[in-house]
Amino acid sequence: MAQLAMLIDTSRCLGCQACVIACKAGRELLPGERWIEIREVVWGRFPELRGAFVPHRCLHCTDAACVAVCPTRALYKQDGFTLVDFERCSGCGYCVEVCPFGVPRIVDGRVSKCASCIDLVRSGREPWCVQTCPAGALQCGPREEILAEARARVAALRDRYPDAQIYGETQMGGLGAILILTAPPEVLGLPAQPKAPPLALWKGGVQPLSLGALALSLLTSGIAFFIARRRHLEERQTGAGNNGSVSQPREAQRG
Amino acid sequence: MASQTTRWVLRYRPGQRVVHWLHAAAFFVLLITGLALIWPPLSFVAAGGLSRLLHRAAAIVFLLTPVLYALIDFKGLKDLVRDSFTYTRQDFEWLKGFPAYFLGRTSHLPPQGRINAGQKIHHALTIISYVTISGSGLVLWLGKGSLGPAGLVAATIVHDLSMAVMAVLTIGHIYFTFVYDALPAMTTGYVTEEYARMEHPLWLASLPPEPPYVIEVKEAIPEAAEEPLALTGDKAAG
Repeated sequence: MAQLAMLIDTSRCLGCQACVIACKAGRELLPGERWIEIREVVWGRFPELRGAFVPHRCLHCTDAACVAVCPTRALYKQDGFTLVDFERCSGCGYCVEVCPFGVPRIVDGRVSKCASCIDLVRSGREPWCVQTCPAGALQCGPREEILAEARARVAALRDRYPDAQIYGETQMGGLGAILILTAPPEVLGLPAQPKAPPLALWKGGVQPLSLGALALSLLTSGIAFFIARRRHLEERQTGAGNNGSVSQPREAQRG
Repeated sequence: MASQTTRWVLRYRPGQRVVHWLHAAAFFVLLITGLALIWPPLSFVAAGGLSRLLHRAAAIVFLLTPVLYALIDFKGLKDLVRDSFTYTRQDFEWLKGFPAYFLGRTSHLPPQGRINAGQKIHHALTIISYVTISGSGLVLWLGKGSLGPAGLVAATIVHDLSMAVMAVLTIGHIYFTFVYDALPAMTTGYVTEEYARMEHPLWLASLPPEPPYVIEVKEAIPEAAEEPLALTGDKAAG
């Protein structure tokens, strides 16, 4: 399948929470678990107050830090989305630490984040959140089409929101969710340039080095054992103990 | 009946042996459940979170064994720490001869006390990595969810490196145990006097040559079973 993406148009979001509930019910999430959260952001000084509803949910980074850090490969990329194999998840929580958007949670010992409705999309339907959105703020489709739609919408919004912009085209290698913002990302609580965590030294250096050291010492001691054992038995038989002292000969007494 | 007398020397007291095996068992559970997060072929152990639970249960045992050691045999713990960080000129001489010792020779080495220079370094590194692996492990455990990328990376690097040091030390530890037949020291508590003389002559000399430090065990020699009884006379005649 082509690279898919979600369109999240904050200019249209009503903050109605319908997507939160549809997702929770449709994906049969646990009590206390939710894959979408709507954050209300207010800025400016009275009476010049401005506001927006910003969905806080997995943005499906192309260069996903959570996928890079996941030790059991429970998190993986497919068709532009970051999917979850919940059976493989060990609940280590590394993804919670490294996500630049602070999205994943650990619920009941397992990762909890949007695992996409890829099953619905494959069968020609739309994700639960898209199906239920009454404001037309959500769409799901091929990334190029979603980007084109986002550009058209932003162009139309410029009159009303001079700061209207697309978010997610380039961040983290390109997000699998294209957001339409009515204000600069920092104002809406999104990092303008989210940074990938420095995992190279650890995952690419320390861990292979540690495993290598283990394998090498197993191999070395395995080979050396046969040499050392033979030489030790030899030395014991000739009675040449430590410092040349002669060990007592083994006596076999006839009883 | 044929028999032989072997002299055995008390190497480790019962409390020391219990602490050793508790610590060893916890270590291996920690090692395997921890490697599940580093070595992909082992990651099935981690699925579902069973290894996470085991890792923490074993961590508690691992963290508490030094405390237990202090409670049941404080002198043993004190000797261990003191000896591990005290090095003499002879120790450096011994270390020069380490390559040949690694390959099964002891005759060229200067006489050693209760623990040799190699064991001292082994113990010292074990103590140091015990501190670093426990500290970073507690950070990862108690700070879970609020470490941030830098905290996670720093703590796991310390944790992984300490693990590598401990695992390599353990491989060496097992290697020398079986090259030099040292296993009985930690099972029965006794080593043969021959072993003590070859490996730790100064320590042997410092022990009172009486029970429970030195005991004599008379064992039957199973040589009669090696040849059929009926042939014994013929062979003797031939």
